[in-house]
Amino acid sequence: MSKPTASWEKLGDKFYRKIQLYTAVFDQDLELENYNVVGAPYSGAVAIYRDENKITTYRGGQVSKASIDIYSCAGKLIRRINWDKGTIKGLGWSEDEKLLVVTSDGTVRCYYDLQGDFMPFTLGHGADEHGVQSCKFYGSGFVALLGNNNLISVSSYTEPRPKLLAIPPTEPVVSWSIIPPAYSLSRSVEVILAIGETLYVVDATEAENRNFDAGPFRHISVSPRGEFLAFYTDDGKVWVVSGDWSDKLSEYDSKVKTVPKDMQWCGSNAVALAWEDEVHLIGPNGAVTKFYYDAWIHLLPDVDGLRLLTNDVCEYLQKVPDASVEVFRIGSDSPAANLLEASSLLDQKSPKADDLIQLIRPSLAEAVDTCIRAAANEYNIHWQKQLLRAASFGKSVLDLYSSDDFVDTCDTLRVLNAVRFYEVGLPISYEQYRRLTPEKLVDRLTNRNEYLLALRVAAYLHLPTSHIHGHWAQQKVRVSTETEEQICALIVKKLHGKPGISFEEIARAAYDEGRVRLATELLNYEPRAGKQVPLLLDMKEDNIALDKAIESGDTDLVYHVLLHLRKKLPLASFFRVINSRPVASALVESSASDQDHELLKDLYYQDDRRLDGSNLLLSQALASPSVASAIDKLKSASTYLRDSRDAAATFQRQALDDAQKLLRLQEQFEKDLGPRDGVTSPAPPTAAASSSFVGLSAHHTVSALLRQGHTKRAQKVQSEFKIPEKTFAWLRLRALVAERHWTELEELAKAKKSPIGWEPYFNEVLGAGNTRVASVFIPKCTGLSVAERVEMWMKCGLVVRAGEEASKAKDRALLEEVAAKASGSAKVEVERLLGMMGKR
Amino acid sequence: MAPITPFSASEISEKARRDLLLLLEGVRGKKNLVLEKALAGSVNLLVKSSTLQEYGVDKFFFLENDNVNSSQRNVVFLVRGEKAKTVMAVANQIKRLRRDSQIEHEFSIFWVPRRTLVSDQLLEEAGVLGEASVSEWPLFFVPLADDVLSLEVDDAVTDLYLRQDPTSIYLAARALMQQQQKHGLFPRIIGKGDNGKRLADLLIRMRTEVTAGESSNSASPSFLGLAPSSTVDSLIVIDRAVDFPTVLLTQLTYEGLIDEVFNISANQTEVDSSVVGGAAPQPGQTGSASTSMKRKILIDPKDSLYATLGDANFAVVGNLLNKAARRLQSSTGRDQLAAKTTAELRDFVAKLPGYQAEQASLKLHTSLAEEIIKFTHTDIFRRSLEVQQNIMSGLDPTTQHDTINELIDRDVPLSAILRLLCLESTSNAGMRPKDLEIFKRTVIQAYGSQHILTLSNLEKMDLLQPRGGSGLGATPAAKPGSVTNYTPLRKSLKIWDDDVNEAEPNDISYTFSGYAPLSVRIVQSIIQKHTLANAIKPPSDPRAAAQANPLAQGLRIFDDASKYVRGVTFDETQTGEEKAIKARSMLNGSHNDGAKTIVVFFLGGVTRAEIAALRFIGGKLKEVGGEGRGSRIVVCSTNIIRGGSLVDGAIETAQFTA
Repeated sequence: MSKPTASWEKLGDKFYRKIQLYTAVFDQDLELENYNVVGAPYSGAVAIYRDENKITTYRGGQVSKASIDIYSCAGKLIRRINWDKGTIKGLGWSEDEKLLVVTSDGTVRCYYDLQGDFMPFTLGHGADEHGVQSCKFYGSGFVALLGNNNLISVSSYTEPRPKLLAIPPTEPVVSWSIIPPAYSLSRSVEVILAIGETLYVVDATEAENRNFDAGPFRHISVSPRGEFLAFYTDDGKVWVVSGDWSDKLSEYDSKVKTVPKDMQWCGSNAVALAWEDEVHLIGPNGAVTKFYYDAWIHLLPDVDGLRLLTNDVCEYLQKVPDASVEVFRIGSDSPAANLLEASSLLDQKSPKADDLIQLIRPSLAEAVDTCIRAAANEYNIHWQKQLLRAASFGKSVLDLYSSDDFVDTCDTLRVLNAVRFYEVGLPISYEQYRRLTPEKLVDRLTNRNEYLLALRVAAYLHLPTSHIHGHWAQQKVRVSTETEEQICALIVKKLHGKPGISFEEIARAAYDEGRVRLATELLNYEPRAGKQVPLLLDMKEDNIALDKAIESGDTDLVYHVLLHLRKKLPLASFFRVINSRPVASALVESSASDQDHELLKDLYYQDDRRLDGSNLLLSQALASPSVASAIDKLKSASTYLRDSRDAAATFQRQALDDAQKLLRLQEQFEKDLGPRDGVTSPAPPTAAASSSFVGLSAHHTVSALLRQGHTKRAQKVQSEFKIPEKTFAWLRLRALVAERHWTELEELAKAKKSPIGWEPYFNEVLGAGNTRVASVFIPKCTGLSVAERVEMWMKCGLVVRAGEEASKAKDRALLEEVAAKASGSAKVEVERLLGMMGKR
Repeated sequence: MAPITPFSASEISEKARRDLLLLLEGVRGKKNLVLEKALAGSVNLLVKSSTLQEYGVDKFFFLENDNVNSSQRNVVFLVRGEKAKTVMAVANQIKRLRRDSQIEHEFSIFWVPRRTLVSDQLLEEAGVLGEASVSEWPLFFVPLADDVLSLEVDDAVTDLYLRQDPTSIYLAARALMQQQQKHGLFPRIIGKGDNGKRLADLLIRMRTEVTAGESSNSASPSFLGLAPSSTVDSLIVIDRAVDFPTVLLTQLTYEGLIDEVFNISANQTEVDSSVVGGAAPQPGQTGSASTSMKRKILIDPKDSLYATLGDANFAVVGNLLNKAARRLQSSTGRDQLAAKTTAELRDFVAKLPGYQAEQASLKLHTSLAEEIIKFTHTDIFRRSLEVQQNIMSGLDPTTQHDTINELIDRDVPLSAILRLLCLESTSNAGMRPKDLEIFKRTVIQAYGSQHILTLSNLEKMDLLQPRGGSGLGATPAAKPGSVTNYTPLRKSLKIWDDDVNEAEPNDISYTFSGYAPLSVRIVQSIIQKHTLANAIKPPSDPRAAAQANPLAQGLRIFDDASKYVRGVTFDETQTGEEKAIKARSMLNGSHNDGAKTIVVFFLGGVTRAEIAALRFIGGKLKEVGGEGRGSRIVVCSTNIIRGGSLVDGAIETAQFTA
């Protein structure tokens, strides 16, 4: 076995290694130099399409069809997407392996699985007019550069909302790049444009000139985590600047005349320049190492390294992880290196193994850790085993050691080795795997239809498998040639009762495939109504959809179905559908009462709900702007009930007729008396502010008339509406008090009887502050006890009268009480009365 | 390990707060916030407006005012998405801004508590869906106190009973489901009322949906989450329709009266600054003072003084305030300052801020109490209270008609009259048809023809109905379960308590000075059987009390009573896999016996007096050796209501115009 260091290259004081992942990647006939090549993040799939600007070799007879081809890293064709939809101006991947294709007219197609299904959307903002020039992609979005230098950013593919960024100057853009939102200082996407000699940084709000005048910059590249920026100047220099633009870190002169075709970061510590068949790797402080190839080379950057792709090989170039350096570096005497050595000596049954272990005993735990980490980062299975064996050996010597990391690493490596196998072709590194998460890895396998492997991996790592099953079932209903019954039976047998299975998705796949019966069948197994309803609507199973929505209890769903039905069905059949479903008709009623009175009217009519219909007309009457139209509405509200004979309807009719009568009277008063001016009424809040008779209730009308002194008219209203005497008395009293008509009140006091007694008169007048008039009523309150009357006198401040009242009743105690409260001349008088009583 | 408290108020509010701030952070730069009025209280309760400003909120607007301007590029709408009306309002405002404004706006809509299909559909039709970035703020429960969680759906009552719109039931189920997923299933769901039954059914249904749906992203927690909880005892659901009279009565606790007089919404009330400014307004000038400034007051359950006052009967609040004042005086008095060592003095000074806060609170509550006294001393208040008490104590309601008529003649606000009429109707299974007709006519004459609609609304809500069903040639005897019959309940649940003790309450009847709220009695019949049994039928031998009372066995009281109470009765148990139960109880530590939480959910609103009554029961349960074994009661509801808001929902506000 060759030493791992064989593939290492020194760059400054760091080591870089080039790992050969796969050989014989592409067909030799494929002229890779004429293709654009983009790779999905985390060692995902590779998409290639023919560059239209390059000359094609003419091959007689064979008409080459344009297509976008998706390959695995090992060169296995996953999918070919035939392309006839215009010039591709941007091709890129998202973090979750969605392929984005942007055409020059601003149409974006998002291929969300690797199977060729896509969701289209357009960029807008004048993209169709000015044309898309190029696009730059990041994990969850991209930025498109238009012909007029406008920049459009899309930050999510689930709900794409293209946004226009600030407008930069319109001079030609030499090169450009973006800083993903996750790594920019402003936490939103930033674009770096090289225009003329200088650089512009553009975000959502401003386009700022950075005043770099060393340009023009031919290439701009942002390191994977945005901490460094690299620029390639026209005179062959590479500048590296820190991500916050504060420090210029290094400058390297490539001394090459031709501008490289690509510049990419390799991890965060080195920049790779690529010419046709040559790669320069530039480290800090101008250190450089060069690689030569015999075919055209493509750079596919990733978070922790760089994939290099030629027709023949797929290689991974990365900085050697620290743990590996520690173990393998030639001449290393680190504990880990010694541990590895000891382990191999042990295999040779050499006693020196123990000597070595004793030597590193103090730092053995650390050595074990290092070996485990180095194993995790190792691609070669032989060395993985060696390192793990060494770790295991070291572990056995230690008394106390937590084996969690060891076990985890073993599990992970098993998974990694399985997916790196050339037939699967996911050469994911340990670091990438950590960032991608196991769940996403399983998703990637599922998308590649590697169900068995996905299931095995999921089971091995204790991940849920529902999604894999769902995907499998969807694929099954799409491609299977068996009969629908068989398919359904098979799917149900395998998946029914498993948690997390979305039968709706499977059913939708079946429906999209045109297998409606199968879809209906499958949908029955979906327990979530919320999921069933939209598909049922699509399938035109409206009634079932409505029933399911009601069953779910979610009114939103019911409304959703109702809105749909309302648009689709003629009114009569719409009513027929909702009639048998009380919840549905209640909801229709409730929403229509806010918005659609006509619908409500029809609903009441066809349902023969006379009372509700008449109420509706009444509320329209209330909303009508003039008295005349209000009366008309009231009339029709009343006639609406003409044929009903039950008590409620009769009552309602009478009330409505009264309302008309009242309105007419009020109108009349208004004509005769003019609006009731200057009346500041303490009337109820409902009748506030308005200075018109119209809108008042019968009682308030009476009260308003009385206040203005139109007693005759008030009495007319009273008789017209059969207002009881008691009520009328109250109204008169309150009206007079409110208007401070004291004389009239005193007049009233001359009456013999009052329907409400005299106490209210006293209370109201006193409440208005007129003690003199109030006192007039005290003697008339014959129904009250002496004590109460005495108190009434006292309230009016008439202590003497109070005293007289008490003495008349011969109530000594009461009189004394009065005396105690009296003062001044009143006191004298009261005491006299007291004296008189004492004499007797 | 500290036990995890289910339904923890602080946890819920912290989460809601974080969610909102996270959403706001997602909108870059300064923004104008457009709020639905109904949400303002909740937002205010959860997040201080200064914090919102830190998160870039520049100005606040109310959706209803339709006045958001173009002063900021970013416009954020925070609204409920359940009603088509509000959705359309949002759409229209976006369109208006887009049309009128010079600059290009960035619109964001945060739907509360969820993004609905309907909102998407309507926005799309209005052509604004593409313009706005839409997200949701999952605000379900708003904690009003440590033991009170409200959904704050203001129109829950009218929705449920007038429009028969079950949206709030669904929201309630979602909210409870969230808690179930966290703390495990309610081992038992028991309750009364048709809507309550619907809620229980929904919860059970959602359980299967959740099992089917969400386990794909996290396998283990939901596996545990759907086993019965070891920390929650049961869920008791009370449908408001079961017991309307309790709402219609005037609440007589301090907090209840503050609500009656000043209206509390989301723990905040607006009081005339002349009242709480300290200076007592001159008598007779209250009318003119109402035009002056209003001051917002937070009813803070954490305020130590208020904690003692809030649930007390108003009759004793004066005394309590007095006591507090005296205690405060003695501890801050001069004698405390004199002759102290410096250490003691430092101690004292350290406590000073506390005293000051207490003093401020004392001052506030004294003025509030004064204002309430003024209100309770009015003739009208006393009259209507008298009617209420007479009706509830079982007097023939027709004897009260004269008083009600007089109140109408005196033109007291309509809602007060309607409360009395509805009270009579609901507590006596309807009114005599003749009386009802006369009253209806009088109300229409006194308050205007528009109230034909009001009355018809009340009838639809079953608040006001002729005796013997809803008219249509019905049989005189009402079907069992269609109305609540108070006459037998008065005895079998001891709804009326003649020897009520307001100062040293020994029964929940103190909250209404005699009437023990039926809803709470029902709860009591489930969780506090022995005490209730002894109250209903005092044992002859006081020593044999606890064990012997035959009434306390099983659910006898509950079963007996529910025959006379409107709506269906339901009692479901939720079980799970044995394994999961064990795992859960292991995880939570083995405090299986004590300190379980009982959740009482009121569909259609709860009054503050009922909360006070439940707290009273909770206090008794916590007592050592009591039958509750230290259980904790959490009150959940769709919203907090009072009689006024119940009938206000039905009142037609439009009137004829010239």
